[in-house]
Amino acid sequence: MQSLQSRLSTGLLLSLIICFSALWLLVSINVEFLSEEYIASRIQHDTETLLSTIDFDSENKLVLDSSRIDLVYHQPFSGHYYVINTSNQHVNSRSLWDHSLDIVKTETGIQQRSLQQGPEQQSLLVVSSSFNKKGNQISISIAEDLGPIQTNIKKFQYWFAVMAFSMLFILVILQILILRSSLKPLTRTQSELKSLEQGELDKLSTDSPSELRPLINEVNHLLSVVKQRLRRSRDASSDLAHAIKKPLTVIQQLTDKNDIPDETKDILKKQTNDIFQLTDRILKRARLAGHSYGGALFSFSKDLPDLINTLDMIYASKSLKITKNIQDNLICPIDREDILELLGNVLDNAYKWSSSKINLTVNMNSDLHICIEDDGPGADPEKITSLATRGVRLDEKMEGHGFGLAITADIVNDYKGKISFSHSEELGGFRTDILLPVHNQ
Amino acid sequence: MRLLLAEDDHILVESLKKDLELAGYAVDVANNGVDAEYLGNEMVYDIAVLDLGLPQRNGIDILKNWRANSNQLPVIVLTARNAWHERVDGFKAGADDYLGKPFHVEELKARITALVHRSSQQPGGKLNSNGLILDEEQQTVTTDDGQSHKLTGIEFRLLRYFLLNAGHVLSKSRLTEHVYDFDSEKDSNVIEVYVRRLRQLLGKERIETRRGQGYVFREKA
Repeated sequence: MQSLQSRLSTGLLLSLIICFSALWLLVSINVEFLSEEYIASRIQHDTETLLSTIDFDSENKLVLDSSRIDLVYHQPFSGHYYVINTSNQHVNSRSLWDHSLDIVKTETGIQQRSLQQGPEQQSLLVVSSSFNKKGNQISISIAEDLGPIQTNIKKFQYWFAVMAFSMLFILVILQILILRSSLKPLTRTQSELKSLEQGELDKLSTDSPSELRPLINEVNHLLSVVKQRLRRSRDASSDLAHAIKKPLTVIQQLTDKNDIPDETKDILKKQTNDIFQLTDRILKRARLAGHSYGGALFSFSKDLPDLINTLDMIYASKSLKITKNIQDNLICPIDREDILELLGNVLDNAYKWSSSKINLTVNMNSDLHICIEDDGPGADPEKITSLATRGVRLDEKMEGHGFGLAITADIVNDYKGKISFSHSEELGGFRTDILLPVHNQ
Repeated sequence: MRLLLAEDDHILVESLKKDLELAGYAVDVANNGVDAEYLGNEMVYDIAVLDLGLPQRNGIDILKNWRANSNQLPVIVLTARNAWHERVDGFKAGADDYLGKPFHVEELKARITALVHRSSQQPGGKLNSNGLILDEEQQTVTTDDGQSHKLTGIEFRLLRYFLLNAGHVLSKSRLTEHVYDFDSEKDSNVIEVYVRRLRQLLGKERIETRRGQGYVFREKA
């Protein structure tokens, strides 16, 4: 889906353009209409003035009192013209010179307006009216050039458009700014979600607009529920492990005693060992966090050295050299306990079998790639291929490469990753390759 | 060697105590966290076997408190909680070794021996000093002439302590502390008797008496 910001911006921009165009159109039409009305009413007055100057002599001829007629009607092509028609006479204003107007005959008392082309390309508004004065039928047409006022209207329309366009521009800019600032909490939440995934945060900040707050509260609530569940299930499995192993330890101590027949001893040993390994594996599987935001995240710079120190202590009797080749600035959003368990088991296996050297290589592109090699005796190639094709199942034991690898395989499966075993070309021993997808889809 | 066993399961304690005593350790037991921490600070122990799931105070806190007190007592952590993150946390708290439950006593004994040697800066393998070899499993000593002698419990404990602390002046009371557990009848004069027996076995010059101070085990005859 399109982002909120661009949706709002396009919507607002379109509505503003429509609004401003409509406004411009309305104002322009109105101005044209008003100016035409104004000119028409001026013509109306001139018609009345002209009518009052008209008189008839004894021969019923039309006489005009020129002194009362406005001067503009005397200047040629001034843009103001009149034509008077009576039943026997036709009088044009001097300004019309040798041009004439098309006169529309009208009924007495009725006005007719028309637009005509006048002299010198002038566009004229012609108002014709008919009167009856002293028994004579008079028809008067007065015309005025619309040119000057039209020029002004054009100018006005142009400037109005310029103003409207600048206003539109300013408004759009303002809107973008307003949108940005009001969507800022969303952007912040977005970046917080990212940090959450990276494990830099453990909850979203609630300092946000009220529309967003219920969502954030819900996310925080879910986070705390997930965290609590994970902790509870981890505590429970840890307690259960503790509870089962205590009696198992006692049984094992007793089977070590010499007063039990060897046959019984062997059976007891095998059974306790099986119970221990199965419960351990199942409980460890139950502890896995997987791709969820629950616990602390693994840090290659902090937790890995701790793990290696721990292994160095456990295998203090061996002098092993571990070569770490870890990609710089590696940040890997995977649960600390899961990775410690995974690396712990594989490295433990390597420490157990290695005679002097171990290589640990970690790279991350889209997946996390971990490679552990040792210079121990390695494993039978046949067994390696069968491990790779059949996978590691609960009821299988990998001869020589303890039961820890089975737990590792469980973790890798839980993360929908891949684990493969092979012969190490570089060190000559066992090689384990693990590929983990680390980003949530 | 005086060993502190901090474990709350009394059946396990009973069987472990017996096994460890047979292996030549003077064992004191603490069955709760508070006692364990207190005893560990008494400074008479050579090693502690610490269960992490003790009542009243958990093992990790005990370890942290000891280390915060600069108590460097070598500690083997014994726990059913054997996830790797728990092991890492245990080592970070100051554990020296780690053994997950369930375990075989033989493995525990081997780890205790290894840790005791390590903390006295002894190389791996059997304890030896200038032709003298102490077999800690069989509790026998092989002298320069290649003869192997069976040692009694106290003789073995005493000789092992001398070997691990060769060249140091060891007072009678210190020897008593490290050879007998808390509940034993302690009589420092008995030490003289055992020292005399060891001298008969190894030769007089091996154990030197420093009047008013104690004994020194000489590495070179």
